[in-house]
Amino acid sequence: MHISEGVLSAPVLITGAALTAVAVGVGLKKMDYDRIPQVAILSSAFFVASLIHVPVGPSSIHLILNGIMGVLLGFAAFPAILVALTLQAFLFQFGGITTLGVNTFNIAFPAVVCFYAFGHAVKHKNSVIALCSAFGCGFVAVLLSSIMVATSLVFVEESFVQVARLVVIAHLPVMIIEGVLTVFCVGFLGKVRPEILGG
Amino acid sequence: MERGILFKRSSGIHKASLNYLFAGLLILVTVSQASAHRVILFSYVEGHRVFTESYFSDGKRCQASKIEVFDPVGNKLLEGVTNKAGEFSFDIPGKTDLRLVLTATMGHRAEYTLPAEELPDAFEEKFEKPGPQPVKQGMPLEGIMREKEITIAEVTQVDLEEIRSVNTDATDKKLRPLTKLIAKSQEHRVSATEVIGGIGYILGIMGIVMYLRSRKR
Repeated sequence: MHISEGVLSAPVLITGAALTAVAVGVGLKKMDYDRIPQVAILSSAFFVASLIHVPVGPSSIHLILNGIMGVLLGFAAFPAILVALTLQAFLFQFGGITTLGVNTFNIAFPAVVCFYAFGHAVKHKNSVIALCSAFGCGFVAVLLSSIMVATSLVFVEESFVQVARLVVIAHLPVMIIEGVLTVFCVGFLGKVRPEILGG
Repeated sequence: MERGILFKRSSGIHKASLNYLFAGLLILVTVSQASAHRVILFSYVEGHRVFTESYFSDGKRCQASKIEVFDPVGNKLLEGVTNKAGEFSFDIPGKTDLRLVLTATMGHRAEYTLPAEELPDAFEEKFEKPGPQPVKQGMPLEGIMREKEITIAEVTQVDLEEIRSVNTDATDKKLRPLTKLIAKSQEHRVSATEVIGGIGYILGIMGIVMYLRSRKR
């Protein structure tokens, strides 16, 4: 998911940076004082999760956790992911500094989409519906991110369908793992602290 | 009253579980030491060929990835595709700095510059050295004598050249594991210090944001 330095053209980089800047602003505005620690903890979890690579499939992939971040943070996922990606770029040389905007948007936008799509459903009284939508949340977030990465690369690579298929297939194991992980997190949080689910 | 206690207890459980989750993640990192999502391109010269190896930072080879070779000005000299072992090799196109660019799948990219000094001198000679002097016709006795000397000198020269190249090849071969070892050791491995440092930064940023917000309130 981390697009490297020097791959994308300037218009794509600028568009990504601009979109991210706006969304981070919205996220910071919407972030309550009491929720700042929660944002920081999820940011740390995201920062570490990229180091856990999934040894399945043809390419090198890792956990992303944007589904669970979305459902817990909503728009606040943007600042959380931006901070984590910045630190990853500086400390681990993942991705790049110029691609921060695009990378943040590719990961955080699906998180926000999942917040609005699944935020209510994961709180549903019927636990089957709640857990199924939790799986969907983890799965769809990674799927959307993969498609967005392919979209960013469209100006570099020859064919969108080919790239999209490659990225999506490579991340299929991650989608399933994150779906299951989100089910566990939502199941657990639903029991101990239902009020933090869905924003 | 009872509800209050219950709530406190449950938030305690929540905190403890988060801590466990955190500890678990940390352990996973330190155990596997695997960092994905970066590609590494490494290249070395052996004889008249440049060899390259490309891999993701978790050790997985970059298969069927494009490698382009540029000169310092930016002209593309050649390009190729890595094999299943992530390797690609090509004949030295000229004695200049070579900039190798690897483009792997999903927006991964790496560069490696091979300085001209690392390219063998023998390469230069191979092109610049004139071929053996043509023997002149109808030479006087003295000339014939000199011609013989030249031949002997040439033979010795050729032998020396051969010995040198055989020697270089043998040394290259012997050094190969060493070169690879050095390249491996130069790889940037994610250390526990950096992971903990990164989390520290995030908590620090949290502190700053909370401080600024609390002043506003």
